[in-house]
Amino acid sequence: MGLDIHIRHLNAAGKVLLRDWRVRCAPGQIVTLMGASGSGKSSLLAAVCGIAPPGIAFDGDVRLDGQNISHLSCAQRRIGMLFQDDLLFAHMTVRENLLFAVPAGPRTQRAQQVQRALDELGFSDMADRSPQTLSGGQRARVSLARTLLAQPRALLLDEPFSKLDAALREEYRAFIFSHARKLQLPTLLVTHDRADIADPAAVYQIPTLSAHSHAG
Amino acid sequence: MSPWLPVSAAQSRLQRFVNRSAQVALALLGFLPLGAIGLQCIASVWDAAAWEIFWHEALRSRLWLAAWGMTLWTGLASTLLAYGLCAWLVSHSFARPLWASSVRMLGPMLAVPHAAFAVGLVFLVSPSGWILRALSPWLTGFYQTPLWLTSQDPWGLGVIAVLLCKELPFLLWAVATQLQRDDASVRLLREMQAAQTMGYARRTAFFKVVWPQLAQRIRWPLFAVLAYGLTVVDVALIAGPSNPPTLSVLAWQLLQDSDTAQNTQGAIAGWVLAGTTAVAAAVWLALGSMPWMHARHVRGGRGGRGMHGSEASQGVAPARLHSVLTRGLVYFFLSIYLAVWAALLVGSVSGVWPFPALLPANWSLDAWQAVWGSSSTVGATLALALGSTVLAMLWSLAWLELAPSRWQHAARGMLYLPLLLPSVLWVVGLHQLALQLSLSASFTALLLAHSLAVLPYTMIVLSPAYQGFDVRYAMATASMGRSYAAFLLCVKWPLLRSALYAACAVGVAVSVAQYLPTLYVGEGRYTTVTTEAVNLASGGQRSLVAAYAWLQWFIPVVGFALAAWLGRPRHFKAAA
Repeated sequence: MGLDIHIRHLNAAGKVLLRDWRVRCAPGQIVTLMGASGSGKSSLLAAVCGIAPPGIAFDGDVRLDGQNISHLSCAQRRIGMLFQDDLLFAHMTVRENLLFAVPAGPRTQRAQQVQRALDELGFSDMADRSPQTLSGGQRARVSLARTLLAQPRALLLDEPFSKLDAALREEYRAFIFSHARKLQLPTLLVTHDRADIADPAAVYQIPTLSAHSHAG
Repeated sequence: MSPWLPVSAAQSRLQRFVNRSAQVALALLGFLPLGAIGLQCIASVWDAAAWEIFWHEALRSRLWLAAWGMTLWTGLASTLLAYGLCAWLVSHSFARPLWASSVRMLGPMLAVPHAAFAVGLVFLVSPSGWILRALSPWLTGFYQTPLWLTSQDPWGLGVIAVLLCKELPFLLWAVATQLQRDDASVRLLREMQAAQTMGYARRTAFFKVVWPQLAQRIRWPLFAVLAYGLTVVDVALIAGPSNPPTLSVLAWQLLQDSDTAQNTQGAIAGWVLAGTTAVAAAVWLALGSMPWMHARHVRGGRGGRGMHGSEASQGVAPARLHSVLTRGLVYFFLSIYLAVWAALLVGSVSGVWPFPALLPANWSLDAWQAVWGSSSTVGATLALALGSTVLAMLWSLAWLELAPSRWQHAARGMLYLPLLLPSVLWVVGLHQLALQLSLSASFTALLLAHSLAVLPYTMIVLSPAYQGFDVRYAMATASMGRSYAAFLLCVKWPLLRSALYAACAVGVAVSVAQYLPTLYVGEGRYTTVTTEAVNLASGGQRSLVAAYAWLQWFIPVVGFALAAWLGRPRHFKAAA
């Protein structure tokens, strides 16, 4: 169960980033991936998510709860992803941003789900505002809520704390980790900062080009 | 490659095949006609004897050389003046409130077709124009129209004035698009401030740090200005000299001749114009990369008044004077546009208007009734504008969405062929292709001709917006389980709607302004407000010319106004 990734090779712009590398992540577990800049951490997350940005070639298996999802498109995999920036849609209100992520269903039911999320965040009075008017911390929370409303089966975090100040960073980290554990989501976190590590026993060092063996 | 492609090898092969097939089909659809027209342009002059006759005529007749000289003079003078004034205006308004207010005025200015502006300016400066009326008889003593050559002057000053007034806003707009992204403008501002902390005065810092970067980025728009200035026909017909005319007008006259040998001479003249443009652009590039240019730049930085000269050493008074001059220049150009607009409007409803009365003795709607009576002209204008804009937008969006970036990069030169080739040459290729496809004089051919003219402009407007779009939005949307269509319809296009509507407005304006393709490919069977305005300008009823020119202006302005309204930022509930 959980997320099981086996990479036969991951190339970027003709350069081999990873070869024959494996990482496993149990439900509710937060695995941290660390490595030098350009080692392929973000490319790895994109590949796991089912996105093949130009220049990235990936060959491997991604198993989620025992099911091989390698052949599925990103939209079908249901793996949520958070980035360095909140990437809230500037032309939508906070409510519309959240509603966008809720899977298809009866209109009232979807609206209720969004309202519950807004209530939980304490953002009900901000629901019809532009996300641009929120503080950095508020935007980060809305971004996580939006990702979770899509009902992902796993979570990928691509340095989501790197642009937050120290106090906010700690608060947001606790917020994300508690939700990931509560929802039993296998979570992969890419970071440069050792302070972000959730579980010291689950830290993977992405090998550099010369070292193709797996670390753990 | 679309970011939605699954990574798995088996399915991606099929998807890649489908994607690649779509990309190839798209490329063929866009570039086959462009390539075919280019080949037709070459084929039209593939005759050694014709070249021999051309060179013989060109060297023997003073007309050819004089026309070529007039082309060089008007094209280069207008381009250099527009470039110099653009640099000067930006240097004084960069990162200041004046810049933002100036940029807001550019839309309506750009919407004005060259021909309409030329007609309006001639109305202002002609011997019976408003300027002389305003000064007569109290200052000039004139009670009758003087026999002056203030329009279609033999020195080409009218053409230069029209081109300067039209190309300056275009270059400023090109700079504005480069400064549109906050990160770019903030970086340039910080670099300039860093130079100021090193002791350079603001303007010196601007020309040392900011302008070299901006000048590099507006190189292509500048070449478009240069190419247009050297090859324009409609403006030269309205405001240019007739003896000698510019080479483009001479070429156009030869192309309209019933003798095919003369047509070939016209096409050859088109190639001479293309060569002249290429040499002028190459000289510009070469001058820009000459080491002595940089050396002089650096030498200038060390001594003298400008250099390392602080604000204090340059004096507060000159700085204020420059500021006043900059504002004055902005208002001067704005007032010219307003005066031209008013001249066309009043001209279109004027009845009897004896000199030197400032306003007509009586007013008449005859011209507008005549325009209303020729509803097919307005209908054809609108149908061509909307149809060609839709076609160009569909292709541009599909190309930007689907084509790999290396294809887009490689094909850029070809896409801008209609802008780089002289219009007299371009229409020869268009016409030949239409003849070969048995489409000549058909509305379909005309629509395709307009679409190919609109295409480079829609790409110019859309490309920066597409390049600046954060691809992570696509990844975030897909990771929420939403489809590619949902991403385009709910996220990407709404976020880019301002650029999308602007591209549509530009497309309409470009199509409305088409003169040569409409006349040549349509073989005179279809008339638009532009062909009517230009054709009537050389001696038609003054009020009717003004009505068509005003309409030629009005349609794009409506397009830009609609684009601004539809693309406006969403109004959100204010924060409590």
